[in-house]
Formats: sequence, structure tokens, C-alpha cells
Amino acid sequence: MSPENVASVLGPEQSTAEAEAEATAGGVWLRAFVRNRLAVTGLVVIVALLLLSFVGPLFYHTDQVHTRLGMETLAPGAGRPLGTDDVGYDELGRLMVGGQTMLEVAFGAAAVAVVLGVLWGATAGYFGGLLDALMMRIVDALLAIPAILLLLFLATVFRPSVLMLIIVVGVTAWLVPARLIRAEALSLRSREYVLAAKTMGVRSPTIIFRHIITNSLGTILVNATLQVADAILLVAALSFLGLGVAPPATNWGAMLSDGLNYTYSGFWWLTYPPGIAIVLTVLAFNVVGDGLRDAFGLDTRRG
Amino acid sequence: MNAPATRRREEQPAAAPVLQVSGLDVDIRLPSAVVHAVQDVSLEVWAGETVGVVGESGCGKSTLGLALAGLLPPEAETRGSIRQDGRELVGLRERELRGIRGAEVGIVFQDPMTSLNPTKRIGAQVGEALRLQRGASKAAALRAAADMLDRVGLPRPREQLDRFPHELSGGMRQRVVIASALICEPRVLVADEPTTALDVTTQAQILELFDGLSAELGMATLLVTHDMGVVAGHANRVFVMYAGREAETGATETIFETPRHRYTGALLGSILRMETPRKSRLGTIPGRPPDLTAPGTGCPFAPRCTAASGECTSQLPAASEEDGHRWSCYHPLDAQETKRIPEAQR
Amino acid sequence: MIRFLRQRCSQAVVVLLLVSVIVFGLLHLLPGGPARAILGTHATPTNIAAFNQQNGLNSPVPVQYWHWLTGVLSGNLGFSYVQNESVSSLLAQRLPKTALLAGVSVLLAVLIAVPVGFFQAVRRHRAGDYVVTTVALVLYSTPAFWVGILLIDVLAVRLRVFPAEAPQGSFSALISDPQALVLPVLTITLVTVAGFSRYIRSSVLDELAQDYVRMARSKGASRRVILFGHVLRNAAGPVVTLLGLSLPFIVSGTLITEYVFNYPGIGLLAFDAATSQDYPVILGVVIVVGAATVVGSLLADITHAILDPRVRASAGIG
Repeated sequence: MSPENVASVLGPEQSTAEAEAEATAGGVWLRAFVRNRLAVTGLVVIVALLLLSFVGPLFYHTDQVHTRLGMETLAPGAGRPLGTDDVGYDELGRLMVGGQTMLEVAFGAAAVAVVLGVLWGATAGYFGGLLDALMMRIVDALLAIPAILLLLFLATVFRPSVLMLIIVVGVTAWLVPARLIRAEALSLRSREYVLAAKTMGVRSPTIIFRHIITNSLGTILVNATLQVADAILLVAALSFLGLGVAPPATNWGAMLSDGLNYTYSGFWWLTYPPGIAIVLTVLAFNVVGDGLRDAFGLDTRRG
Repeated sequence: MNAPATRRREEQPAAAPVLQVSGLDVDIRLPSAVVHAVQDVSLEVWAGETVGVVGESGCGKSTLGLALAGLLPPEAETRGSIRQDGRELVGLRERELRGIRGAEVGIVFQDPMTSLNPTKRIGAQVGEALRLQRGASKAAALRAAADMLDRVGLPRPREQLDRFPHELSGGMRQRVVIASALICEPRVLVADEPTTALDVTTQAQILELFDGLSAELGMATLLVTHDMGVVAGHANRVFVMYAGREAETGATETIFETPRHRYTGALLGSILRMETPRKSRLGTIPGRPPDLTAPGTGCPFAPRCTAASGECTSQLPAASEEDGHRWSCYHPLDAQETKRIPEAQR
Repeated sequence: MIRFLRQRCSQAVVVLLLVSVIVFGLLHLLPGGPARAILGTHATPTNIAAFNQQNGLNSPVPVQYWHWLTGVLSGNLGFSYVQNESVSSLLAQRLPKTALLAGVSVLLAVLIAVPVGFFQAVRRHRAGDYVVTTVALVLYSTPAFWVGILLIDVLAVRLRVFPAEAPQGSFSALISDPQALVLPVLTITLVTVAGFSRYIRSSVLDELAQDYVRMARSKGASRRVILFGHVLRNAAGPVVTLLGLSLPFIVSGTLITEYVFNYPGIGLLAFDAATSQDYPVILGVVIVVGAATVVGSLLADITHAILDPRVRASAGIG
């Protein structure tokens, strides 16, 4: 038990950025994360969902391409654990296929968002001055436009597909990591080791990558996880509005939208499974993100 | 259990000590372990005198200070006795402790910037204790605050009342913090590393301020610090702590001229003094402070001590006392070794 | 303070200009050019040429932008050929309704989240905190439309307590039927309250760990004095900023809720426009919402500066 832990009980001493840098080094954060039972549970749920969506169909064969009219909206029973939907597809199989799309888009969009956002924010924060001001005003302007509206507009212009969804969602989501990393870069660029590197003549891109970004890894990781959660919500909303991928592909949001028509008829298996799946997945990613944030000792007000 | 060290015969005042600590134990319960931060500490402080509590980070000196101010977190468990003017503080309920804080015991922390609420004006913060403890009106508290700010040497005190903490320099802020801690004229002042965050010149000024106020208000002052230089100039007596325990205690001149505990000797050897020969290297103490969650048997300093022997690791040494000077060491330094300390061999 | 105001206001103006540039860019990004987009797929080349001539679309781009911008600033947001009405008049009808919905929901959310967040922080790690934190986490992870659907399912369909759809008439029709507002407001509130209370909880926790709280305790302050006399003011600033930053999120939630409840606000307007490819309307909504968000953020920042003197002094950063 280090004096630092006792000190944390007796009074604050370290600044957050220093704490983060310390937690990043030596994998301290990993050990702290593993001790957080809730976070580990979240991770387990995520892995389970990944398996269900991608490995599940290998064991549970259903036809997701040909409709089977005459078999529609059957309640759960023998051979169909979750019943069938309004065109005869097996609901559980639909859930798996839907999960594939959701997770693909969510991970892809999160990756795009994080890469774009980190590069933008690190550059803005590191160089500061007019460049920073301009880059951040652009971020502010894009942030002022609600993603849904932007996506509505873009979705009517482009053909919906998994790739398009990834790009479109990623392009609206990069703003938050940009802001976060810019803040990190601002505080890190006056650290002695950065100044030393500059004096030694190290070129800016190298400094940005080796010092600024590597020391913000905690923030980046936390934000990436939360981005996945947000992306799932966004894709679900988009698909719910009818702007997602075209059939026979589907995702949970679209399933909810389709099933909505049948709530009045009491066909609960058409809406509750996808709804619960969304909540569970987003919850899991949020919990993992929170756990990572605690493990890195980050300020909850950022990230 | 150690009884508090007796003072040198000539110096024994008639009055009882303001602060009397006996056999104090403080344990901190963390989720994964229990930290034995303070173990069997006994000391006394009289009115008007300053006791310097020294030791490295993690030795328990801050915990001791917090215990005296009644500010330990809920995870802390206290045993033993702390008497302030005869009143027992250990075991008091939060309500009763609240009445004592600020009024009887004041505390000053290390970082003046974070000790002050950034969104409240100086005047309000300095006068706060007066309003809380004595029910003073806003106007009366502000008047008293201006007076106190003057006493701590802040220029143009009336103008400062309306300003915010971030508008002042570090030294001025620490004066404000001191003023706010002393406004009720408490009997005891705990100063936890009060000058560590300040530059050297300001340090000297603040320490002189402490000297003056201590005498003026007749307070019992505890100066908690890791800096032997601070202690040398501004403490009447010294209390050296290691791993939560008392290592050595006595009058300042005695400790500096004739240290007995090996740890004290090592500490003195690691600082720069007038007598240190020019071309020598400063000594360091090898090893690391012990893990307070698992105090072993024997002297806690033994693993890092150059003179440690078998008995050092198996049993805690009993305290030896001589004329107000007390130490707990099986192999105390003798006169020869003490003379060599300025050469910083160890 | 003046310096701070000057800086923030000039920043806001720059952002507004950028928003206008983005919208203008989107208008011209449309395949086939804005003329085809606005007139629709049935437009003949003659129509398009006439339209281009009329609307100055043959001039160089910066000139077009200037004309368009001055038009917007004087209230001309274009014309919807689909609805056969000017965009500004459409917006004028719908905007107050959305403002009502969003305003009431946010107010409610703040009024609930602040005490809840404080409660969570003070009772940290005890049963009360765990329960509330869990509920908040689940709410936070639920999409707005799902909340709306569940509310409809339970309260409107099964229990028949509230109507499932909002009245379609004028603004006064809405106000005179408060029952119809309950479910939509509840939807948005539930979704926002979760995030707010989480933030407030950690904000309060951060403040409680500060040295000045220890200092106040050392002077004999009780928990109540600390919470209300010290922490509240310090935690309020970041909360106000949070409000400003959350505006886009709140607006998104409102738009989706309008869709679910068929609420006649600008959200529903935008969706209908999207399905009928009525681009002037969509872009009109984008610009109005964007401007409102920027102004809202600005107001939030100014309020934060009023609450926290350090913010006023730090003008010059970013």
C-alpha cells in the first residue's frame, strides 16, 4: 500500500494529467480495471454479444434472406426461441444479423471518430494560437448542428450501406475526442519533456505522436469505448427513423421500428428483444468506459 | 506505552501543557488493507512553544497533524489519548469536534491555492470561522478579518477583503490561510508543511510570522515538515518520526548537536549545513520507507540502518531518556560518529 | 469581465459564420445542384435554368454566399416547393412548440438532477447511491425513442392515462391540453436527467475532495454549511457549462421524441422534409437550430463566468 493511496484518502495532491501518465505506464490501469467487478462484467457482456452475433449463426442456422410468408409473427415456441417477425424471418436469427451490423458500424464509426478526432485535437492543441482557434471554431460549428439533423440530410443524399453508415456516424462523432485531446495537448505541450524534445530539434509530428498522444492514451481509450456506445444509440435512432441499411440486412433499431406496428397487438417478442439488446450493449460499453476512466484516474468531467 | 518525555529540569514551566498526546494509534481502513499510520505516539506541547514534527513522506506526520485537528477521514480509527487543555479529543462525536475545530485547534495546509475557495472573497473566508464558532455578524467578521490580515502582514488589508484568491500571490495567499485559521485565536496550531509550496524568501517570511504569532497568541504550535532546515530555525523542540513511530525527540539544539537515533543521524547527514565540507557528497538513505500495512517486529528503520543487528529486527527498542532527550535505538550514535555527520559519510 | 465577454462574443460570431458556411456548403453539395434539389426530380432543364437565373446561381460562389447570407439574416430562409410555403413561415409556426417541449423538459431535468446528484455524492458508496447510480446508468444507455415507446406502451396503451399522440393544432391548442405534453416531456427528461445527475454527482464529489473543503471543516463547518455555502457555488459553474454543451444532445432527443409522439415541432418538420426531399426546409431547420445552440452555449459560458471568477480572468485561452 503506497503512501499515495493513503494520501488520496487524506487529501488531493497530484494533478489529473500526471496521475493519468502514471497510470498509463506499467499497465497499472489494467490491474485497476480488472479489480472493478462491474467493468469486468460489462466486458463479459460485450464478448457474449460479439459471440452471439458473429459466432451464433454458425450454430443456429436460420434463413435470413428469403421471406417466409405464412410463417409471420409467430410467438416463441418450439424451434423458434424468439418467434418470427412480420415477414417470417426467425427473430433470434434476426437479432444475430442485426447485431453484426450494429457492432460493425459502431466499432467502425468509433475508430473513424477517434482517429480523426485525436489527430485534429492534438494538432490544434499542440500548435495553439490562430491555428488552434480556427480548428476549434470549426469543431464548435459542427457541434452546434445536432448529429441527427446532419445525418438525416446525409442519409437522404447517399445510399445507405454499412460503409456509409460508418463514415457518416464517424464524421459526426469525431468532435468530442477532438475537444478532449486538444485539452490534453494544451496541458502537455508545456511539460518539460516536450520542451526538451523541441529544443533537441525533434519534428512536430513526431512530438505529437510520441509524447502528446501516447500520454493521452487513457483519455483516448475511455473516449473510444464511450464512442461505441454512442454510435450504437445513433445507428439505432437512424435505423428507427428508416434511414439505415436496406433489407434483408437489418439492425436492432430497424427491428424496433418494424416491430412498433405490432405493439398494440401484443407481439412483445418483436420489440423487447432488440430494445433490450440495445440497452444491454450500450450499458456494457458505458460501464467498461467508466471502469477504464476510474482505472486511469481521469476526471469524470472530461472524457 | 511511552509516557511523554519529561522536559529539562530548568525549563519546566508551572502550567500544564496545552496539548498532551499519549499512546496515540491511528489506523486507516482502505478497501484492500489497513494502514497503521501512527503507532504509539506520545508528545506534549506547551503554550508559546513550537514543536517540529519531522520525517519523510509517508512517516505519519501529516496523519498526526490531522488527528490533532480532528480532521481524520471516516476510514480512520483512533486509539489512545489527545488532550487539549485537559479535554479529551479522542472519541468525541462529530458535533462536539466541530465546536473545537477552528476555535481551539487551527490548521494550515501546504498548498494555499487549493486551501482557499476560488469563488469566495477573501474577507468572507477569513471571517468564516468567527461566524461559525462565535456567531459573529457578517460586518463584525469582516472587521475582525481586516484586523487579522493586518496582523499577518498583508498590505492594505481592507482592500484585500473583496478580492478573490487567484488575484493574490502565493505568499499572500498563505498569509490569508493563516489569518483564517487563527481568527478565533485557537490554543493549538497545526501547520502541515506550510512553506513547502512557497519560494525560499517567502518561506522565511512566513516562518517568522509563525514565530511571532505563536508567542503573541500563546499558542502551542506543531510545525509538521520534512525540512530539517525549517525545524532548525523555528522550533523549540523536535519530534522525529519514522514509519508512524517516534524515533527521537528533544530540544532542537540537542537533536542537532547530539542526535542519537540512527535515522536522525542519517537525516542530518543528508542536508546541507554550514559545517559540510565543500567537496563532499550529500548522503542518502538507501532503501525505501516500510509498508505501513504490515509493520514487522523490531525497529522499523532496521532494514535501512547501517548499524542494524539481530536484536534490531526482532524486538522494538525501548526508549532511553536523558534530560528531556529521548530516543529508541539499540545502537545510538556516539560522540565520534556525531562529529562526522557534517562530512556526510552516511 | 469585459475582455471575457468580448472574446466569447467574437468567438460566437465566428462560429455562427462557420455554421452558415457549412449549411451553404451542404446546399450546394446536393447532387445535381441546388436547383434540382429544390425543384425536385420532375424539374425540366428549362425550369432549372430559369431557377438558376432567378436565384443568381450562375454567379461566382462567394457572391452567391453573400446573397444567401444577407437573405438569411433578413429572414429569407428559402421556399419549400413541397409545402408551398416559405421556410421561415413554416419555422415560425413550429419553433415555439419545440421550444416549449425542450424548455420544459430541460428545466424539469435540471430541477431533478441537481438534488439527485448531490444526494448521490453525499451518500456515496451507500445503498442509496448504488440504486440511483444504477437506474441512471440504465436510463443513460437507453435510446430516447425506446423510452418514448415504452412510455406509450405502458401509460398510453395499457393504462390509458395519457394520450399517445400530441395535438396537431396551433400553439394555444398545445398549451390548453397539458396532458398531451406529459409523455413527450417525460421522455426527454428521463433521457437527459440520467446524464446530468451523473455529471453533478462527480462534480460534487470532486469538489468535496478539494482542500478548501478540508479547510472549511477545520473551521468547524457542518456538512450542510459546506454543501450549500461552498460546494454548490463551485459545482454550479461546470453544470451550467454542461447545459450549454448538452444543447445539441437535448435537441437531438427532442427531435426524435417529436417523431415518436407525432409532435408538431421543427423536428417532425425536418423528418417529413427528409422523406420528401424538401431540402430548403431541412437546411432551414439546421441553420436555426445551429444558431440557437451557439447562442445558448454563449449564454451558458457567460453564466459560468458570473459564477466563477477564475473563468473571467482566464480570457485569452483558446
